[in-house]
Amino acid sequence: MSKKVALLTTNFFHPKGDRIIMGGAERYQVDLCRLLRDLGYIVEVWQIGDNWTKEFDGIKIRGLPVSKTEYNTFPELNMAFYENSMSFDYALYFILSLAYPLAREKSIGISHGVYWDWPGFDVANGKQENRQEWLRRMSIALTGPQKLVSVDTNTINYFNATLPGLYHKWEYIPNYVDTELFHPPEETNSANDKIRILFPRRMVPVRGVNETMRAAEILTEKYPQLEFHFCGRGHDDTVEMLMSQWADKHERCYYYWKPFEMMPEIYQQADIVLVPSRSTEGTSLAALEAMSCGKPVIVGYAGGLSNLVLQDYNGYLIKPTVENLVASIEELLHDPNKRKVMGQRGREIALSFDKKKWLANWATVLSAVFR
Amino acid sequence: MPKLTAMMIVRNEAERYLQGCLDSLVKYTDSIVVLDDASEDNTPEICLTYHNVKLFRHRESTFLDNEAQLRHKLWHYTQNDRPEWILAIDADEFLEEEGIKEIPYLLKQKHFNAVSFRLFDCWEREDYYRTDGLWNPWLRGFSIYMVRYLPQLSSAWPSLKFHCGRFPVAYRQLPHYESSSRIKHLGWANTVYNRAKYERALLQDPACQYMSKEHYDSILWPPEKVKLEKWIERSSI
Repeated sequence: MSKKVALLTTNFFHPKGDRIIMGGAERYQVDLCRLLRDLGYIVEVWQIGDNWTKEFDGIKIRGLPVSKTEYNTFPELNMAFYENSMSFDYALYFILSLAYPLAREKSIGISHGVYWDWPGFDVANGKQENRQEWLRRMSIALTGPQKLVSVDTNTINYFNATLPGLYHKWEYIPNYVDTELFHPPEETNSANDKIRILFPRRMVPVRGVNETMRAAEILTEKYPQLEFHFCGRGHDDTVEMLMSQWADKHERCYYYWKPFEMMPEIYQQADIVLVPSRSTEGTSLAALEAMSCGKPVIVGYAGGLSNLVLQDYNGYLIKPTVENLVASIEELLHDPNKRKVMGQRGREIALSFDKKKWLANWATVLSAVFR
Repeated sequence: MPKLTAMMIVRNEAERYLQGCLDSLVKYTDSIVVLDDASEDNTPEICLTYHNVKLFRHRESTFLDNEAQLRHKLWHYTQNDRPEWILAIDADEFLEEEGIKEIPYLLKQKHFNAVSFRLFDCWEREDYYRTDGLWNPWLRGFSIYMVRYLPQLSSAWPSLKFHCGRFPVAYRQLPHYESSSRIKHLGWANTVYNRAKYERALLQDPACQYMSKEHYDSILWPPEKVKLEKWIERSSI
């Protein structure tokens, strides 16, 4: 008889159940569910939603009608999940705070990176007593699961410095890339004198979109061979409208997004890829995919991006201000050899983040807890 | 590559956009199922000049009396074409070139059984679209245009006379991939027809159950009240 795993998340589908936007976290969830299925488990996902049941990629997803948040935790969702998932043998808490206050016995918590470095988090929870209460709840959330998996070392270091007693629970399983699917182009774009800068992220402030738009305005005016491609969803319809209107008004600036299956070609056509996150970052799938396609990357030093990029080796690790973006792009713009060498090094690094290793690492952790 | 069948209902389209629409569809679909709702012009003859059009003709027009029944028949004819994916499009709607490039990837992907696009209503001319009120293409959401054919799903249609949808109800509830590519709709591009369209809409929906009266009235707004933006062709990397 197959064992059953319940995965708890907040918003795989929009809580109304009518919309889904596949970002990095959603892709991670789909891949993790596929692995569990391949290992012989029966998997179901639970999230915030009005008692609906949906299916995605052959996995049932159930909406629990609780949405209250306190101190960036979801105690009602946690408890509704605990009571409703009694017939399941094991649990995965897809966000660390979801394991507060009560975790299933044989369970694993997952961190996708530090999210409390976002300035808005300080606005909401900056008061000393609120901060303490958040941390108290997090310590409970981290105590329950038998293992804690982090996509980067930044999260582990933060908690080792803050809640050192959890040291042995942590496992570092960095994000991954399918290096066979995302590979360098057969031919380089050398015949074409266009230089294409790609920003393959969600159009949200923490990803550095506003700095990048300003850098694009400055650089496209200065260099007629430059193109800027903004490739990703907005946070909502209005953002997508504003991005389109902005791109329409600026020569050689483009805005769109593409299905995942097209992304290898998009990366292959780029010359420089930007991942200029200010905060709320893990080991970005976009950075790994760009590196795997042999592209130099300019990244913010937020979250786990320093797990992927060595300064001046396979790209630049910067504070993503407009000035720093402009300067680092110009450096690569003027030095095609550096772009090539950094891209080759990026590909080499990406091979050590191959998806097969991620699957094997996860299988090991699962076998240690789910028994 | 999975087989993509387009389906559409046509009526008196000869002097409008049918030829351009079929020229576009033959570039990216394998087969086009057309149900002619008793055209009085040479719409059927135009259809028959395309080798991959499968034409079905009705002698009496029923679109205004029972759209659901007509849509259901088209669905039935399309099923018989053994499609793997189905595109529901009108004879005055055009998927932009960037979207046509995406089609092979969308057909091969495994995550989604439906694909949606934003519809842009061109107004007064073919290179400007309308953005005021409910006409704003960005804020009124995505519409499902393409679905994977799933024989296990019910093919039931709501028994509405008007605005009854392009697909069976079960297909409209599928999680769908929202594409950034746009559908250009030329149905309002020639304002000569707008008065007749307005009158027809109110005749069919006198209680304004499907759309607000204000929205219907906005069809006849003078040009100074209408907000337009220029349609700019997109390109990707």
